[in-house]
Amino acid sequence: MKERLPVRSLRLFRITKKIGEFQLRDISLEVFPGEYFVILGPTGAGKTVLLEVIAGMHAPDAGEIWLGEENITAWPPEKRRFGFVYQDYALFPHLNVRENIVFGLKNKKLPPDEIKRELEAVVSLLGVAHLLRRLPYTLSGGEQQRVAVARALIMKPRVLLLDEPLSALDPCTKEMLQQELKRLHQLTGTLIIHVTHDFEEALYLGERIGVIMGGKLLQVGSPEEIFTRPRTAAVARFVGAENIYYSDIILRGGRKYVSLGEALLQVETDLTGRAGFSVRPEQILVSSLPQPGNCLRGKVLAVYPRRLLTRVIIDAGERLVALVVAREDKGCSLAPGSTVYCTIPPAAINVFPHY
Amino acid sequence: MGAKLFKTVNVLITSLVLLFILAAVSTVLVRGIPYIPASLKAPELVFAIRLSLITSIVSTTACLLVAIPVSYTLARYNLTGRRIAANLLRIPLTLPPVVSGVCLLLLFGTTTFGEILARMGLRFVFTVPGIILAQFFVNLPALITVLKAAIEAVDIRLEYVARTLGCTPSRAFLKVTLPLIRNNILAGLVLTWGKALGEFGAVLMLAGATRFKTETLPISLYLNMATGDMEDLMASAAILILIAVISLAVFERAGVKLYERVPGL
Repeated sequence: MKERLPVRSLRLFRITKKIGEFQLRDISLEVFPGEYFVILGPTGAGKTVLLEVIAGMHAPDAGEIWLGEENITAWPPEKRRFGFVYQDYALFPHLNVRENIVFGLKNKKLPPDEIKRELEAVVSLLGVAHLLRRLPYTLSGGEQQRVAVARALIMKPRVLLLDEPLSALDPCTKEMLQQELKRLHQLTGTLIIHVTHDFEEALYLGERIGVIMGGKLLQVGSPEEIFTRPRTAAVARFVGAENIYYSDIILRGGRKYVSLGEALLQVETDLTGRAGFSVRPEQILVSSLPQPGNCLRGKVLAVYPRRLLTRVIIDAGERLVALVVAREDKGCSLAPGSTVYCTIPPAAINVFPHY
Repeated sequence: MGAKLFKTVNVLITSLVLLFILAAVSTVLVRGIPYIPASLKAPELVFAIRLSLITSIVSTTACLLVAIPVSYTLARYNLTGRRIAANLLRIPLTLPPVVSGVCLLLLFGTTTFGEILARMGLRFVFTVPGIILAQFFVNLPALITVLKAAIEAVDIRLEYVARTLGCTPSRAFLKVTLPLIRNNILAGLVLTWGKALGEFGAVLMLAGATRFKTETLPISLYLNMATGDMEDLMASAAILILIAVISLAVFERAGVKLYERVPGL
């Protein structure tokens, strides 16, 4: 299937769309040919509306959408040829699986033998041959997802838009289909925009991730960048950096520091003035003895064992959350009330501008 | 009130209402059915049945052709004043049919608009087209209400997906939404047709009650009542009741089938 796919990037310029109380605000984004791009955001962030605007279901109030060299802002969905898979798959309930999959090809009025050939190809790609006569309501969530993807892929879409396609699945099916999506992407080379609220899913699938919150695209970057260098407190909180603080950046002896409680922590940043900083819980080293550099003394407030990891809440002048490996806490009492030392390497402190 | 007493009171009231309706309807059926065979040989009743069937089928078809685009507009387009429009369209539903008839009579009988139409050959006052127009006016809002609810119940995203698969908006409606509301349409049509067949007040005011001209079954019943022709009256009433019962049975069956066939709709 790969050789027939067009190679064009998708660009959004300052897209604004208001639907009821909700608004997409000034979204600009470029997604490259063949890329697997993940839009990550909490429920109600505007992810689905953004996808629907990209697909042409809603015209933007302002802004433009370009596919390669063509301005497609005013194109209706039927002209864009973007595949769309909804969270609940939106299979046509009155048609069986076969009829669902070939629905688009029949619209194109292709000859029956060509439809059959295309059907066989996509059915073997997705492994749904045994489901062809079934009605959608008799399928499991995973089966429905495969059928919905097959229905979109058979059209050889220029862009495949996936709206939380894994969120309605049990963890086991989800993991399997996550791998399946990655395989399909590698096989077809289709530009995929995948929307999710699940950071793990975004990390696994996304070549790049865009974080959207409150209708605004807050940050776009590699999974590593989003994970370790969130540029706002909201993104930091969303990707699990639970320790977020604000401080003036203090310059001493050519080094920069931020204050946390009464302590100063050395940081690596180009910023000056007032800034925010975040620390991921798993990057805090908890020990019973003081360590050299960026070490805070604190008192354990609460301990929550979680399988291999233990979540420890520490009062170090400010509330700190640390994740420690359960088996590695020997020699360091994590009982509430005990004194511990928290070491935070300068590279683990993410400093972002404070507006 | 205890649970048992509460249930007993509810069931008792329901049973009494059922008994009341059955008593009223079966009295006419028991007395009227024996007269049906003889009355079917009477030219007047045959005329009334024929006219009722023709006008009700034409008006029901017109209702369907108009109700589908109107209900789609109300269900799918986010237009300014959509709620007000929906309420205005429901006015004939809440008016007494006689008042609807008066409205139509004044519009088509006394205004320039009516005169222009009459000059073009479209005469509705005291004519058979008037019967059709009266049935259409009175029954359209109910069909719109049924179809609007049906279209709203179909997830709009199904149409969105159909469009990403190459359908124009009208084709998405024809290929996806229409098949999914097929049973609602059938149920709505049966209901509309049954009501059109029995429409009296609006028809009387606009088309009048002239024997062998605008004499539908309900008008025939009214005329026979006025002249004291009880045998034909009972036969007309029994025929109307039988049609209503059959329509209701089809309506119920169609309504149930929808959700049996398409779970999760």
